[in-house]
Amino acid sequence: MSFIDNLMMGLSMVANVGSFLALGTGVAVGVFAGAIPGMSATMAVALTLPFTFALQPITGILLLLGVYKGGIFGGSIPAILIKTPGTPASSATVLDGYPLAEMGQAGKALGMALWASCTADLISNLALILFAGFLASFALSFGPPEFFTLMLFSLTIIAGVSGESLLRGALSAMLGLLLATVGLDLIYGTNRFTFGNANLMGGLNFIAVLIGLFAIPEIIAMVWNPKVFDGQKRSMGKSWVSFADYRRCFKSIVRGSFIGVFLGAIPGIGAAPSAFLSYSEARRTSPNRDKFGKGELEGVAAAEAGNNGVAGATLIPLLALGIPGDVITAIIIGAFMIHGLQPGPMMFILNADIIYALFIGLIVSSVFLFFIGSVAIHGFKYVADIPRGVLFPAVLVLCIFGVFAVNNSIFDVGVMFAMGWVGYFMLRYRIPAAPFLIAFILGPLLEDNFRQAMLMSGSSPVILFRGPITWFFWALTVITVFAIIRAGIKATRRQGPLKVESQT
Amino acid sequence: MNLTKLGMACALTLGMMTTAALAEYPDRPVNMIIPYGAGGATDISARAIAEALTEAAGTPMVMSNVTGAGGATGSVAVQNAKGDGYTMLFARVGSHTVNPAMKATLPYTLDDFRFVTVYEINPVVCAVTPASGITSMDDLIAKINEGGVSYSSSGVGSLLQLAAVMVMKEFGIGNPLEATVHIPQKGGGAAATAVLNGTVTFICTNSSALAGFVANGQLTPLLVTTPERLNGFDAPTAAELGKPALEQLVGWTGIAGPASLTDDVATKWGEWMATAVQDEKFLAVMEKAGSVIELMSPEEAKAFIDGQYQTFRKLVDDLGMRIEG
Repeated sequence: MSFIDNLMMGLSMVANVGSFLALGTGVAVGVFAGAIPGMSATMAVALTLPFTFALQPITGILLLLGVYKGGIFGGSIPAILIKTPGTPASSATVLDGYPLAEMGQAGKALGMALWASCTADLISNLALILFAGFLASFALSFGPPEFFTLMLFSLTIIAGVSGESLLRGALSAMLGLLLATVGLDLIYGTNRFTFGNANLMGGLNFIAVLIGLFAIPEIIAMVWNPKVFDGQKRSMGKSWVSFADYRRCFKSIVRGSFIGVFLGAIPGIGAAPSAFLSYSEARRTSPNRDKFGKGELEGVAAAEAGNNGVAGATLIPLLALGIPGDVITAIIIGAFMIHGLQPGPMMFILNADIIYALFIGLIVSSVFLFFIGSVAIHGFKYVADIPRGVLFPAVLVLCIFGVFAVNNSIFDVGVMFAMGWVGYFMLRYRIPAAPFLIAFILGPLLEDNFRQAMLMSGSSPVILFRGPITWFFWALTVITVFAIIRAGIKATRRQGPLKVESQT
Repeated sequence: MNLTKLGMACALTLGMMTTAALAEYPDRPVNMIIPYGAGGATDISARAIAEALTEAAGTPMVMSNVTGAGGATGSVAVQNAKGDGYTMLFARVGSHTVNPAMKATLPYTLDDFRFVTVYEINPVVCAVTPASGITSMDDLIAKINEGGVSYSSSGVGSLLQLAAVMVMKEFGIGNPLEATVHIPQKGGGAAATAVLNGTVTFICTNSSALAGFVANGQLTPLLVTTPERLNGFDAPTAAELGKPALEQLVGWTGIAGPASLTDDVATKWGEWMATAVQDEKFLAVMEKAGSVIELMSPEEAKAFIDGQYQTFRKLVDDLGMRIEG
């Protein structure tokens, strides 16, 4: 069957009310679920799965993909409005999104998040359609040594999100690395820092840590000193993102999209590291890098492009190799299998019509995301107008509810509050939370892949330099670390004489 | 989920107010714990039977994934629950025979649970990539004797790890732990990826996890543990290869309550399951996943699980694989 035939077959499968309805419903459900703190995109997809059992394969899968894409974008809404990432993927959006909302520019930040998300989504989908084969073979050349070097390089992001003091950032990262070691040791299966408590055997729940670190400190701060916040509210203003803003950030959006595509194509990384990497690259190359972390629109754009760029690309290993890249795609593979479809190279021959139908559906989903996202923003933006005395208690209830729902565990709620106090003290002593989170996400990946690589080679470190991919990331790491040290020395030199002068 | 939960909470309060203390089981929704993540073999199996079970029982079954520590977190939640039949567990081979056999520090033992049934059996398949040049178990064993062979698993104390070791032991490798390298991965998907990208040489896991890769020609199956040849897998059975003992090596899903579960509840569950496994939609989903539906009575289930546990425990003790820390 020729390409055109397949395309037409695919079109005929998608071009019906059922498919569009599924896609639209999916995106709407996803945006809404993503916007609820603690209700992550993963949970939304998992909950939708049983509904697809009875649907046509293509309709069911489009529904799940809609939820996935909507969920990743939806997470940015609470990240910007109430400093609570709705999904882990939108943690990087908090860094600049929330300060923007504080400055009364929530509408602008939300609009930029949507535009960046849709652009990245489209680029990601096109990458899937055009380069699936190439990127899939690239993904398969990623073994533990390659992963290790990639993670090592990604840890240099910490320098970019540490804010004013690298030392404080490093302190925060260490704390994150330490807490990430709780749970079962991957290689030996022994308990680490579980103190005999069965609840700790699975490690600290990521969502609980995330919400504890970002949302709870704000609430504690308000309880601590309610006078400052008395009756205060932030006005939305009439701020809306302009085309000039979009054009200014366009380079960062495209860069973020490509970072998302590459990291998404490699199984096992996920959207959060991609968002942080995109953010730190945007900061590194931006002329207003000093404004990053204090409310820079480009930061929001980069973070959202980074996480939505992953959404289409994770389907590359799924469709081309049958490998799930993260938890969400694992659920989607489950849906394929329930319908008797087996993703992999043969599917491009046996079920080419379904593949093309999916491609068409994906492209349409970007458009749906744009319209449904706009509606959602206009609905949710009034959250910014609610006085804090009313808003914060409501947020607290939502947080507790969401964290409990992840694992039906009251212990997780305790973890959230404990992390809330940690976050509060970090806030007071101006220790940034982002490095903590990056270390918490990347630390286990770094460790596991290092130890797997050592098992492969019989403890010979030579394996960490085994091919061009590892060399590439080693070089990037060395260059970045060198640049950080040089910038540090420069900054100290500049400050040095000033201090002496001020003393005299 | 939030709405369901809310509904459940309302129904719960309502149920408590309107019914007497001695009301017949079940008078409110039953909380079903799935100890593994969404999209996995246990989850799909559980959610496939949920609807049929709800119908058979006449009360909603609220499914919740309580994940972590290789199924231990969810299992502990049920171990500590009341034996009133309102908190039940989807027990799985990993959480209830492999883990108890391997981990000394596990917070539960088999005696902490009362099994009402085992309803699904998944055979185990061992596979390699075509690029490895291995086409039969004999090739694989020869390669292992040469050295440098490794295998992946979804983590320490998983069925995948024990399956690989048990197969090697049966095929005459004296000490599989020294002859090969075990490279644990995070989860079953990552374990399959490790074979595909050449990180490890082979994998032994449930047929459902490999069906797609075998159908696509990405992996070559070497052995299946069913008594008869398995549809879609062009590989000899354990018995054909003269190792019938390997037929013990299967994955399974069952339903269990805490040890204090009452007889009434256990009987009720027996009736519900007998109806639920007849459900056509459930059967269709399970068949596509490559599972065999085999409903066991509580006694059969207990004998089956104990038997598998003893086999695994002996292997673990013989090789000194038990994890004490």
